[in-house]
Amino acid sequence: MARTDVVIAGYAETKVVYQSGRSAYDFAGLALSDLLEKSGIGKDEIDGLSVTLALSEGTNPFFAVYMADALGLTPTWLNAGGIGGCSAAGGVARAMWAIREGACRIAVVLSADAPSTAFRANYGAYRPEFQDPQGVQGPPATFGLLMSRYDHQYGLDPRALGKIAITQREHALRNPNALDKFRKPLTMDDYLASRSIADPLRVLDCVMYCDGANAFLVMSEEEARTRGIEKVAYPTAYSEVTNHNGADPLADITESGFYRIAPKVFAKAGLTPAGIGMFQPYDDFTIAVLMQLEAFGFCGTGEGSAFVRDTDLSFSGTLPLNTGGGQISAGQPGLGSGGLNLAEAVRQLFGEGGDRQVPGVRNALVTGIGVIPYGRNWGCSAAMILEV
Amino acid sequence: MAETEARPVPAANRYVPSQPFWDGAREGRLMLQMCLDTGRFQHPPHPLSVYTGSQNVAWRQVSGLGTIYAVTVVRVPGPGLAGRLPLTVATVELAEGVRLIANIIDSPPERVGIGAAVELAWDPLADGTPYPAFRTLAQGAADAQD
Repeated sequence: MARTDVVIAGYAETKVVYQSGRSAYDFAGLALSDLLEKSGIGKDEIDGLSVTLALSEGTNPFFAVYMADALGLTPTWLNAGGIGGCSAAGGVARAMWAIREGACRIAVVLSADAPSTAFRANYGAYRPEFQDPQGVQGPPATFGLLMSRYDHQYGLDPRALGKIAITQREHALRNPNALDKFRKPLTMDDYLASRSIADPLRVLDCVMYCDGANAFLVMSEEEARTRGIEKVAYPTAYSEVTNHNGADPLADITESGFYRIAPKVFAKAGLTPAGIGMFQPYDDFTIAVLMQLEAFGFCGTGEGSAFVRDTDLSFSGTLPLNTGGGQISAGQPGLGSGGLNLAEAVRQLFGEGGDRQVPGVRNALVTGIGVIPYGRNWGCSAAMILEV
Repeated sequence: MAETEARPVPAANRYVPSQPFWDGAREGRLMLQMCLDTGRFQHPPHPLSVYTGSQNVAWRQVSGLGTIYAVTVVRVPGPGLAGRLPLTVATVELAEGVRLIANIIDSPPERVGIGAAVELAWDPLADGTPYPAFRTLAQGAADAQD
């Protein structure tokens, strides 16, 4: 049986902005202040804090501690989330564990970043010696390699990737928090004509670094009820894996860690792919969305292109996909991006989706992706099922 | 990012001891890390064997023969890419059972595809230090299936 003793009792999200000139701390303040106002929780009642490490504060090993200072919080449980786009859902899971352990009672899971204003990350490790000289300086080349291999093994229809971008763009049009630049319609011709970044990866397959923040309130269900908080979402399943296939140099790079965790989250929640009401996957690139549809069993491996072509992925369709636009069309607030799709899932489950509300939706599958490792797909995969 | 800088020369030994890789490159030999307990190669280098967890690892020369496992062409400017775009990047699967990310140089574009046989080439960094790359083999079939 899925446990329902700890809940997400509130969320806040700033607008995603390009080159805002503001810091991660400043965005965090905006998100927290909004969260407190909406929930009626006092700042001093918060005794747990999870902070996603930020590209804009990448050289600061005490970012989470400074964040507590900046926000005037005194947590008895502090988590620094270092699994990139998995850090938001992973932070919620860790907060749930901490609350069950009694380490804190009311936790805030906060992701704020401003890489389009200040980029201070140094990825280090093997990259300067064994990756940068080849010109593999960011995710596009890695995803170009991944797409080429996927296409070789299964066939990749650019129009399917285009449909993902177009569907999410249509959702972004209805999302006032989305980046202004992305709030205009996109056609298949626009997609197919967009320039190649790393063949066969087009610019419209990619996200763009922006600034922004999101925050979630995590507490026991009893605590929420006592406070009269009526809207809650139950995270009934969570699973993550890091460095999947990392010790096998000849592993199939199209096999992501989601193949390992998908059966776990479905089993924990007692659900099947057919029972999922909406899919809010981490979408740094369109191919990642397509590959996740396969890994979670919405279709068979290699059938992603056909599935996307044949399925209504709009907010009112058969499998609503990234109903806020996702990162591809709302903008990627740096490493705070893992909270973007989570916030949209909670918003929808609270019935606050406005003119993009998924009718009668009762659950969501939310995922995270983190880190681009050497010659594989991505290093961290996380998935959470939320229910109301 | 500006496309003005020459290809920088990275410092050795910052991640794990890597001097043999750089010494080998200067002698025209591609040196990679091998787990001596299993006889398996690993790359990039690790602080221990990823197969056994022991530190019984050493650097050994590899043949430089392999096939292309995945390939892309980078078209966006970046540090050290001055004059190198479009730049072909491949994941090369070596005969020794390990994959490297490397540039494909001096090769007819129609031959550069998944399954193509490649051999080691050298593509210097800014100070002339040789850096491993690959070129397609004249006899290699670009349409070969792996």
